[in-house]
Amino acid sequence: MTNDLMLLMPLIIVGAGAILLMIASTYDKLTHELAAYGSAGIFAVAFLVQLSFCIAGKVAPFSEAFNGILVASNFSKAAGLIILACGFFTSLSSQAYFKRNNFCSSEYYSLTAFAASGMLLLTMAQELISVFIALEIMSLAIYILVGYDRKNVISTEAVLKYLMLGAFAGAFFTMGSAFVYGAAGSTKFVKIGQYLATNGMLHSPAMIGGAFFIMVAFLFKAAAFPFHAWVVDVYDGASVPVTGYMATGLKTAIFAVFANFLVIDGALQQKWITFLFYISVLTMFIGNLIAIGQQSLKRMLAASGIVHSGYLLIALVAVGTKDFTGSVIAFYLAAYAAGTLGIFTALSYLGGKGEARKTFDDFKGLAKARPYSAAAISVFLLSMAGIPPTAGFMGKFYIITSAINAGEVTLAVLGIVSSIISMWYYLRLIIAMYFHEAEEQFDEPAESCWAPACTFVLVLCVFAISLYPIAV
Amino acid sequence: MFEHVLSVIIFLPIIAGLLLLASPASRVIARFTGLAVSLSTLVLSLDLYMGFKGTGLLECVENIPWIESLGISYGLGVDGISLFILMAGSVLLPLVYFVFGTKEKGYYANLLIVQGAMAGAVCATDMVLFYIFWEVMLLPVFFMLGLYGGPRRLPATLKITLYTIAGSLLMLAAIVYLGVSYHAQFNEWSFAMDKMAQLNLTGQVAAVAFFGFMIAFAIKIPLFPFHTWLPDAYTEAPTAATFVLSAVMAKIGVYGVIRFVVPVFDLEFARFAILLAYAGVIGMMYCGFAAIAQKDFKRMLAFSSASHMGVIALGVFCMNIQALTGSIYQIVAHATSTGVLFLFAGILEERTNTRTIDDLGGIAAKAPVFALYFAIAMLASVGLPGTSGFIGEFMIVLGAIKFNTAIGVLAGTTLIIGVCYMLWMFQRVFFEKTSSRAENFKELTLVEGLVFLPVILLIIVMGIYPHPFLSKITPSTALQFAQPASVVAQVPASNVQYLGLTIEQK
Repeated sequence: MTNDLMLLMPLIIVGAGAILLMIASTYDKLTHELAAYGSAGIFAVAFLVQLSFCIAGKVAPFSEAFNGILVASNFSKAAGLIILACGFFTSLSSQAYFKRNNFCSSEYYSLTAFAASGMLLLTMAQELISVFIALEIMSLAIYILVGYDRKNVISTEAVLKYLMLGAFAGAFFTMGSAFVYGAAGSTKFVKIGQYLATNGMLHSPAMIGGAFFIMVAFLFKAAAFPFHAWVVDVYDGASVPVTGYMATGLKTAIFAVFANFLVIDGALQQKWITFLFYISVLTMFIGNLIAIGQQSLKRMLAASGIVHSGYLLIALVAVGTKDFTGSVIAFYLAAYAAGTLGIFTALSYLGGKGEARKTFDDFKGLAKARPYSAAAISVFLLSMAGIPPTAGFMGKFYIITSAINAGEVTLAVLGIVSSIISMWYYLRLIIAMYFHEAEEQFDEPAESCWAPACTFVLVLCVFAISLYPIAV
Repeated sequence: MFEHVLSVIIFLPIIAGLLLLASPASRVIARFTGLAVSLSTLVLSLDLYMGFKGTGLLECVENIPWIESLGISYGLGVDGISLFILMAGSVLLPLVYFVFGTKEKGYYANLLIVQGAMAGAVCATDMVLFYIFWEVMLLPVFFMLGLYGGPRRLPATLKITLYTIAGSLLMLAAIVYLGVSYHAQFNEWSFAMDKMAQLNLTGQVAAVAFFGFMIAFAIKIPLFPFHTWLPDAYTEAPTAATFVLSAVMAKIGVYGVIRFVVPVFDLEFARFAILLAYAGVIGMMYCGFAAIAQKDFKRMLAFSSASHMGVIALGVFCMNIQALTGSIYQIVAHATSTGVLFLFAGILEERTNTRTIDDLGGIAAKAPVFALYFAIAMLASVGLPGTSGFIGEFMIVLGAIKFNTAIGVLAGTTLIIGVCYMLWMFQRVFFEKTSSRAENFKELTLVEGLVFLPVILLIIVMGIYPHPFLSKITPSTALQFAQPASVVAQVPASNVQYLGLTIEQK
């Protein structure tokens, strides 16, 4: 029992911290700056606790106390680390963001923590009902965060879109769970896997339908084709730190649970592999097509998030081989999170009041005015584009290796073609920052904000992650 | 020579460059830091060269495991092939700091980074490490071209960047394919280059992987028909970047072919060698003819450089020891001659503010030393006997005739084109009537004259007494063809039956 509690400790810290913050927000004395530091502190503590478990290294499964519905594997621990780091940097970048934008209240930070607790639960969940609960804990907090700027029309539109579609996805998920339960007699991943291994999938229509609905829900949350249409508008409508949080933390959680679901139900993965193949190819190329045409930086990053979902789907297709399981996905998620969070952190203090600075042209000449920020953004962009020696390159390298190792040479080559295309819109920002003259003055940085320091730390992370040797 | 000398040669410039970029140093400090670092790299490289035993195997090996689960390691080493490319970089790059004294901080810093990255690409013995350096060496060129290039620099920057990155990403897929095949055949992960030669690759995928490598290197060299980025990039780039691109970076493409394609894909290579050799010859001719027509002397030199790279690449594709040794020799010869020519072109442009050949004339009367140096470098570039260019080109043509008479004859006759455009350009720029722009042309200063002197002497020494250089190259090139059961020796379609021949001594 104590062991169970210890393994749950990061989740408990974040959850309890969120509740405390929520209560404390009723007092006027808790300014939103204090709340920002408070939530950053909560994330930092939880991160360190999680890190100590990772260093201790032993895989200690939960006892029967949770009846097998939660499992702490190395993969879930790594995903938890990424999520907690995302939470930490989001808190600090929000603090910088709200120096220039004034729609913040202290509850904002408690919602970030609530979302993180949902995400942490998702990484450990091994059972459909608890997946649904975790998904909803996370999504409800994120819905509110997306629409936090109530007076902004774009933001309101974004939240309406996301809420409606997200509710559909949730409904699909419950429906699917019910079907699967009807066929397999259990909602646990392990039991479903056993059922599929003995009976096969095609014998029971309920199983086919159920698995289909669950896939739809996951693909929707993961922003994969054909459920990607919401991404660009929602990411554009949300405020910069929230967009960063959604692009990294939320995606990590979804891919963690998606991978858990597919790995344990190996038979299910076998059945769906052809579909996942086409979905990942289409996701990459359609994401690229959307990204190429964008003028707004945030929309470009949103579309590039779709492309990265495509790469992660490649890893999911290849996940069936024994050599590579979670480590490739976890590494890629970490690499992607470092780059993306870095960019959004930088944008949160460069964006100016009301996010006035948002198109590529607005960043012309940044290298002259703010050389260090421009250099950091370039590092993040190169990481996302997959240029060595950044983490993004190693992530892509592992994904290609796992794909070719699984015999999916075509998929690997298509992934590479897609990353050649994506080079254009990443380079475009670097070219704007470095090779053009500034058209207008850049604001002085706001005082006492931690976001530039965070950007610097994330630059170091981008290089450090790339050096970290992956354990197969 | 100490244990980690290669690491120092690689990382000293890179770290110095990064520190310069991050610090608010002035351009004077930047220039002198760059000069000091590149000179100390030169000293280390000379030390390495003196201590190089010429066994043909890798020397100065460093090997630190990095990603053990995939058999990727931080592996460095030099043999007779990589040593000369490394030396070419180390000897030539310090010149830039002497010649161009008034550039910005980023100019010198990027130059340092590219020097380290190129050394890394040449010394790496692990494919993943090689790929990392291979990509890293493009980034400084990207920034130099975009920041300090000519008026039409942006399209040129995008062209070279997208072109080369597209090629290298295909190579990445091929590298991973090799690693995975090694895992499949030997049940052990490894990305070490020397182990890949044991692979037994057949079938369609192997051919695709072969082209993955080949296209990446062909773009870098650049080999016909992948040369279209070259004229724009070479013309628009600042002189130092053009110099780096033509003198060293293009050679790393050739080096890649020798290191990856020849030993690993011996079967595919043998099958496609004739095609590639024709691509080399066509590139030679095409770029040579294009050079004749140029009005801008930098652009003319760009085409001439591409034409000569065709010769060097041809030497590799001929699959015999003479041609290969000639290629390595020609790599150094071309690096010194064309590199220096590009630097002279930069000086010419700085002092006359024009690049049009017709605007110039009569410079020889104003600046005899400059004209003499230029003439020596130019004659080496066209392969006049007595200069370094002759030895390499002679050996390549010799090997080409052995390989396939038609190609050999074509290559030999095409060399004449080089003489045409070079001498004609020299005549128009340095002789004839004195133009208004050339009237105030300043002679090389004493420092500049002394700085170029060693390189000019090297060109002559290499042309008269090649033995000490060849003796370090030959063991490694011989080893390339001495692999057990080398398929290259048994190719039906080729004329390589004299593999055992030792190198002719001149």
